[in-house]
Amino acid sequence: MHELSVCRALLTQVAGIAMDRGASAVERITIEVGPLSGIEPALLAGAFEVLRSGGCAAQAVLSIESPPVMIRCLSCSAHSRTEPNRLVCGACGGFRTQVVAGDELRLRRVELRVPERLPACAN
Amino acid sequence: MCQTCGCSLNTGPVELSSDRSPGPGTVVEVLQDLLAANDRVALHNREHFDEHGVLAINLMSSPGAGKTALLEATIMALGNRYRIAVIEGDLETDNDAARIRAHGVPALQITTGTACHLDAHLIHRALHELPLAGLDLLFIENVGNLVCPAGFDLGQHRNVTLLSVTEGDDKPAKYPVMFRACDLVVLSKTDLLDVLDDFDPTRAAAALRALGRDTPMIRTAARRSPAIHAWLDWLEQQLAMRRDTLPWLPAQLGAVAGS
Repeated sequence: MHELSVCRALLTQVAGIAMDRGASAVERITIEVGPLSGIEPALLAGAFEVLRSGGCAAQAVLSIESPPVMIRCLSCSAHSRTEPNRLVCGACGGFRTQVVAGDELRLRRVELRVPERLPACAN
Repeated sequence: MCQTCGCSLNTGPVELSSDRSPGPGTVVEVLQDLLAANDRVALHNREHFDEHGVLAINLMSSPGAGKTALLEATIMALGNRYRIAVIEGDLETDNDAARIRAHGVPALQITTGTACHLDAHLIHRALHELPLAGLDLLFIENVGNLVCPAGFDLGQHRNVTLLSVTEGDDKPAKYPVMFRACDLVVLSKTDLLDVLDDFDPTRAAAALRALGRDTPMIRTAARRSPAIHAWLDWLEQQLAMRRDTLPWLPAQLGAVAGS
């Protein structure tokens, strides 16, 4: 239920990047939202629809990638793809595991429309 | 309608795919955490705590799990040995802060309005109203909610999640992000276990273990005849560890001794 807060943070980051690059608009924003991030992609998308209006990302497409949960067993080193509430090793059943994917909540890429620079003064 | 998450809003053009190559235009690869701004302030808060040698503990749970009652019992047990303060987070009212103040302990209430969690900025603002000098322990009682608070670092040293036995013993399986985020699970209201036949602490422990963490789970009963020994032992342990890991303290003492 904190998707609005996260979306505000996303748009602030994107606006900063767009301003640094002198962009006239943001065309596409790609983010990674893993199942263990605690963020529901559909709710984040809903928040994006509301919050983007009026800003540099008003026409942007939000592309959400959701990597599956992957763990590595600290006992037998096996990698398993699993569910967010079942983080035990698929090979040996050990519970000492490390999440290697699926907890991402990050801005991956921004695609910008940047006006061509005006030619330098001929004088 | 929830004004925070936009849950009743229609979604627009959103792609849920990963196999698209970037189009023409300027592409900026970022790879930055979306909560980077919050995390920077959290780090700053932690520096404040460390500068004053304060152990900061973030208490989280669903509403009504007994966070405030546990704090009241803790203050009664430790208040004459440690200097304690509390930051209370609630959507409305300062009822919880008033309960804490009644025990002679400073408490600052943050009312979040519609926001369902505390974040590092709110804590930072609160720190300027709550003198840290001379404190040993700062408890941050987060907004009652098993979802949102888990995502926001506040600058705390330890996260504690309460699971009351009046809830389901499968809560760790239902809220994996929250129960993965904590350093300790406190089973609260365990004096009610005798009259509740649908909460099995063994099942709760198994659901917690399935999250791939070796998180300890202890039992408390904070009201009537308080039985919170395991909690107090854990706190004392953390305070001792805290004292041992304060890098500036030995250096300062060394400087004084050598002068």
